[in-house]
Amino acid sequence: MNIGKTMLMELKNSWKGLTLFLIIVILLIAGFVQAHPSIREGFEEDKLDGEDNVEVKVREDGEVTVDLSWTYWAEDKEVDDYTVLVGYSPSMIVPLNREDGIETTTFSYGLERDDEGKIPELYFAVIANIGEDRELVGMETSFERRDSLMEIWGVDMRDIRGMISMLWDMWWVLLIGLYLGYISVNSVSKDFEERRMDVIFSTPISKRQYLLEKFTALALYMLFLLTVSGLIMVAAVGSLGELNSVSSTALFLSSVLSWPIFLVIIAFSILGAVYLEDSRKAIGFSFLIILVQYGINVVAGMAEGLEYLGSYTIISYWDHEAILFDEVHSVGNFVFILFLAVLIILGAILIFEKKDIPV
Amino acid sequence: MDKKPVLKIRGLTKKYGDVVGVKDLDLDVYLGEIMGFLGPNGAGKTTTIRCCLDLLQKTDGEVKIFGLDSHENAIEIRKRTGYLPGDFGMYDDLKVKTILNYLLSQSGVSDKTKMHELSDRLELDIGRRYGNLSKGNKQKVGIVQAFMADQDLIIMDEPTSGLDPLMQKKCYELFREERDNGKTIFMSSHILAEVEEVCDRVAIIRNARLQVVEKIDSLKDKMGKKLEIEFENDVDPKLFTMEGVEDFNLDGRHATMIVTSNLDEVIKRISKQNVMNMSFETFSLDQLFMTYYTSGGKGR
Ligand SMILES: Nc1ncnc2c1ncn2[C@@H]1O[C@H](COP(=O)(O)OP(=O)(O)OP(=O)(O)O)[C@@H](O)[C@H]1O
Ligand SMILES: [Mg+2]
Repeated sequence: MNIGKTMLMELKNSWKGLTLFLIIVILLIAGFVQAHPSIREGFEEDKLDGEDNVEVKVREDGEVTVDLSWTYWAEDKEVDDYTVLVGYSPSMIVPLNREDGIETTTFSYGLERDDEGKIPELYFAVIANIGEDRELVGMETSFERRDSLMEIWGVDMRDIRGMISMLWDMWWVLLIGLYLGYISVNSVSKDFEERRMDVIFSTPISKRQYLLEKFTALALYMLFLLTVSGLIMVAAVGSLGELNSVSSTALFLSSVLSWPIFLVIIAFSILGAVYLEDSRKAIGFSFLIILVQYGINVVAGMAEGLEYLGSYTIISYWDHEAILFDEVHSVGNFVFILFLAVLIILGAILIFEKKDIPV
Repeated sequence: MDKKPVLKIRGLTKKYGDVVGVKDLDLDVYLGEIMGFLGPNGAGKTTTIRCCLDLLQKTDGEVKIFGLDSHENAIEIRKRTGYLPGDFGMYDDLKVKTILNYLLSQSGVSDKTKMHELSDRLELDIGRRYGNLSKGNKQKVGIVQAFMADQDLIIMDEPTSGLDPLMQKKCYELFREERDNGKTIFMSSHILAEVEEVCDRVAIIRNARLQVVEKIDSLKDKMGKKLEIEFENDVDPKLFTMEGVEDFNLDGRHATMIVTSNLDEVIKRISKQNVMNMSFETFSLDQLFMTYYTSGGKGR
């Protein structure tokens, strides 16, 4: 039989674009990982001065009380007492409140909830009075301060795993997904548009075999790309000396196990191309699905109470956080998505077999 | 000739929505012949051909090739059939050689001798990138790929379009040679001279319907001659009311008529008159085909 010829032809015809894209992906991963140290520093600069010295606890028993406690080491100096400033912002140009002459290293501050019933965002500065000198012990805030990115993605960007997780979340599906959608559509609709179908189907190849070979060609390319990405990821993280905080297996698998997600993208892009014939329409269809999926995932990640939406997207079946942080992955999900991809491609075959080949 | 039909079409109908591409077409193409398929633009030639190859889903009717159903056994049929589409493209970025090798191996043929032979014969440089070829050279690639796998039946949709006259001649030679080697060829065309020169039989289609299927030779026999005579004296028109004479027209002493048979008797009757001038011409196939093209009748 002549299995694999069409597949090879697809790769031969598009190898330039595929190689270029592979290089872009490699550079992206390497660059992103290399940027980790400076990104981490950036996030650490965001800290309040001496926030590690001061601890805040919010206590509620009818009223709301903020309990501050701190530790301070002054070299060879005797601390007379402490002053606590309370303000609406960390700059405290005009303090809301000022408490002098605190002899202990604790202080409690009572406050009221705002109109929405939330605890107001207050900043506390603890100052040590040493003779005529004033020294900052540290600052803290009443609200649970998180990085804005952490708010969205629920991961800590200072942790390399968090950063890689964000790379997968933000870039992977968009960048690779959209490109893959584009080339998958083209692999079929270019044969329509460049009038190759008549020639191809004058050879003894069935429409089923044709589509399966296109699918396989792209699937193998993707597997290759994800394998290379995984290896580059391991190498890049290793070059930062960070392999103690995450295992290389987890890193590698977090890339490779996204494969079935991309198979689904290949499958519905091919289905779109077969059904719509016109490449622009089919690319629109493919992009729309990917972007909607992506959008739902972002909304589910940001909005409280909408998390359940995420489980309706195929993207959520690739749980890279579980792989990176807990080193677990659901085989069931993997198989389910694989099955879904096969189902979609079978649908494409069914449509194609009922169809005239246009001139 | 062996009357075994290689291609047998019965009641073929193809509708594109409301548009009728071909209607109720019956046609046999016999083993070892070149069948021409002639008709004006939009007549339904391409539609018929693409139905035979299962590229189109037919609305009604039956097509059998090598006794196999064109839809059920499409793969089996394509193993034994070469096809040149009327309007095709290939991979612009690839070398012709690469493309031909792919198509050849798809057909399950490993012997490349014929591919090289044909390319040499048609003066096609297969080392070049397909996208850089001129229109005519692209057409040659199509012809080479149709014949290179040495299949039993070759179906071609306007095979010589875009070729220069010299190259057309070479192709006609090639087609005849292939036929002499036992191949069956079914080719569409709207070049009358081409069909006349290369085909054994012709089927004429117009407005989605088959008009006539005839041997080229018997068509020529049927064609008749146009006779134009200038008599010296008045003649009795009744003199030429006889079998084998049609369209007799007398304008003064100037007569025109078309003689389809009984030529000897016509000449004898003319010879009894005083003839001043006379011209005698054989109808060209063109004129004959025109009648099928335009009137839609059964010809003369
Ligand atoms: N995909 C299509 N959709 C709608 N109508 C079509 C389609 N393809 C062909 N037709 C119509 O079917 C009829 C037959 O077309 P076909 O292409 O078979 O003619 P043809 O004999 O090959 O003409 P030409 O000599 O111009 O190649 C025409 O009226 C044409 O407009
Ligand atoms: Mg045509």
